[in-house]
Order: sequence, then C-alpha cells, then structure tokens
Amino acid sequence: MILLAKAALGLTGTLFVAGAYTFHEGVIRIDVDEHRAGGSHLHMWVPAAAVPMAMHLVPQKHLREAVEHSREALPIARAIVKELKKYPDVDLVEVVDGRQHVQIRTHSGKLQIDVEAPDEQVHLLVPLSTLDDVTRQLEDSAPSA
Amino acid sequence: MSDCKRGFCTRTALAAATTLLLIPGLVLAQTPSAKTTSTPSTTSAKQDRWLHVRVISSDAKGETVRVNVPLELAEKVLPAINHDRLHGGKVKIDCAHVNDVDLRVMVDAIRTAKDGEYVTVQGTENDVRVAKQDNHLIVHVLDKGKSKRSQVEIKVPMKVVDALFSAGKDELDLVAALHALSAAGDTELVSVKDNENTVRVWLDSKNVTD
Repeated sequence: MILLAKAALGLTGTLFVAGAYTFHEGVIRIDVDEHRAGGSHLHMWVPAAAVPMAMHLVPQKHLREAVEHSREALPIARAIVKELKKYPDVDLVEVVDGRQHVQIRTHSGKLQIDVEAPDEQVHLLVPLSTLDDVTRQLEDSAPSA
Repeated sequence: MSDCKRGFCTRTALAAATTLLLIPGLVLAQTPSAKTTSTPSTTSAKQDRWLHVRVISSDAKGETVRVNVPLELAEKVLPAINHDRLHGGKVKIDCAHVNDVDLRVMVDAIRTAKDGEYVTVQGTENDVRVAKQDNHLIVHVLDKGKSKRSQVEIKVPMKVVDALFSAGKDELDLVAALHALSAAGDTELVSVKDNENTVRVWLDSKNVTD
C-alpha cells in the first residue's frame, strides 16, 4: 500500500510539474459559433506554452513559406506585440454597428478579440507572451539575407 | 510499520497527490474567461500619452468606432512599416509643391511669423480659416453645401508641424511628429462634424475614451 501511495505521489508530482509548466503562460482560447445551418462551433483551449513547442515540430520548409507570405507583416506584428506587452489592460479598438460588436483589447497580458454579430460569435484570447514567442520564432526562421 | 501508521501515510500521500492534481485546475478556473470584462484604469501608471479616435455615426444603426493608441506604441511600430510610400516612419510626398506652393517654405514662414489669421475665405459654399494662435496651427473649414453641411477643425501644435517637416525634402517624418506630440499637453487635434458623423481625434493621458 505504501508503495502504491509513493507511486501515486510520484506520478501526480510529475503531472503537477508538467501541468504547471504547460499552463504557466496561460491558455489560448478560441470560441467560434456560427448561428446558421451548417455553421461551425469550435471551442478550443490550448496551453499557450505548447504552441512555441509545437512550432519546433513544424518542418522548416513550411515555416519559411509562412515567413515568406508574411514578410511585410511580420516585423509590424512583432513590434506591436512587443509594445503591447507594456499595456496589459487596455481597450484598443471598439466598433459598434447595430447589432454587431467588435472589440480588440488586452486583458491580463492577453490579446482579446471579441466579435459578436447576430449570425456569428468569435472570441479569441491569446497571451501576448505566446504571440511574442511565435513572431520571434517566425522571424528566426526567415532565411538570412 | 503498524496498520494504523501505514493507513495514515497512505491517506496523507493520496491527499497530497489529489491536492497537487487539483491545483492546476483551480488556477485555470481562476483564469479570466474571454467574456470577462474589466474596467481599465482611466489613467495609466507612467503617464503615457494616448491618441484617441472616436467616430459616432448618427444613422439608424448608430455606428460607433473607438480607437485608443499609446503614442509610444505608434512611435515604435511606425518604423517597422515599410509599405508603399511609408518607410522608416517617414512618408514620401510628391506634392511638396502643391499648386506651385512650397509647403516647407510656407511652414517655415508660419513658424517664424507672429500669431494671427493667415487665410480667411468666406464663400457661398465654404468658409476657410487658417491661423496661428498660442503656438498652434489652426485650420477651420465650414462646408455650407446644401446636402451635407460639415465643419472641420484642426488644431496642431507648431512643434508637431515642425517635426513633421523636419525630414528631408519631399518627406514627412511621422515618428518625429508623434514624438513631438507626446510632449504636448492634452489637446483636441481634429474635430469633424457633419449631418452623418462626428469624428474626434484627441490626445490625453487616459487609456480609455470618455
């Protein structure tokens, strides 16, 4: 019985450390609801720390292609994310048009994008540190000039 | 080890294991959801300067646009944009000589001139007024068109105008202008009012719109 308890403690200790590491940067949350026939409903929670790790598994060829497509936008995104980290709780953009509502803000160090329309709702929450990691990794993948 | 002690150790280990397993869940449960709303502070900690844009449409839908941008962010991001005429925070202009008027010479003349009204046009369709007052360049346009009456007011600190034209010939230095703007006090830069929309662009130290 003692052995079982020790094994359980060891296993959960490992799980805790792994869980704490995985979730220390928070989670990326994606919620998409399309209120129409055949519309998609996507609800996803992804540990933010997993994204930069997963990017290491993406073949360099595909990363370079992604960088190629976003060559102009990448430095801008990088600069914006880097600066936004200094502003963890601000409303940046809000558009209200009839029953449509779009809001872009930072909240607790996360970029939050909410789109609410009669036929669809999109909520996106991404830690700025994750965006910073991703843009940095993409920049590093760029072929040197 | 006695049965009693063995049982106690087992329970303690299992309780500890359960607690460890639950902690990440509790932490996650406390993570604010995407829908959580918070009230942003009205004044940022280190007196950042904020550029605000607000567009309010008076049509049936009542469209409203609110944009709040930290000037420092704009200053840092602009040089990263290299597109079309915008490079390194400077925008190329081919029209430095607008209708044979050298804008740089004109700005230089306004800078050195005393306060006063430089242009006053009162027509049947438009009223235009360009003036320098308290180190601000003021442009006032009133469109008296029958279908769409509109009023535009622009008030820009002269230091910002100077900074804007501080780049080379045929270039406007937007970053320098933003930097100069950050040193200016709270001010309303642009106000446009017509039958359909009200547009305001202003500068202050609050990170939220009114």
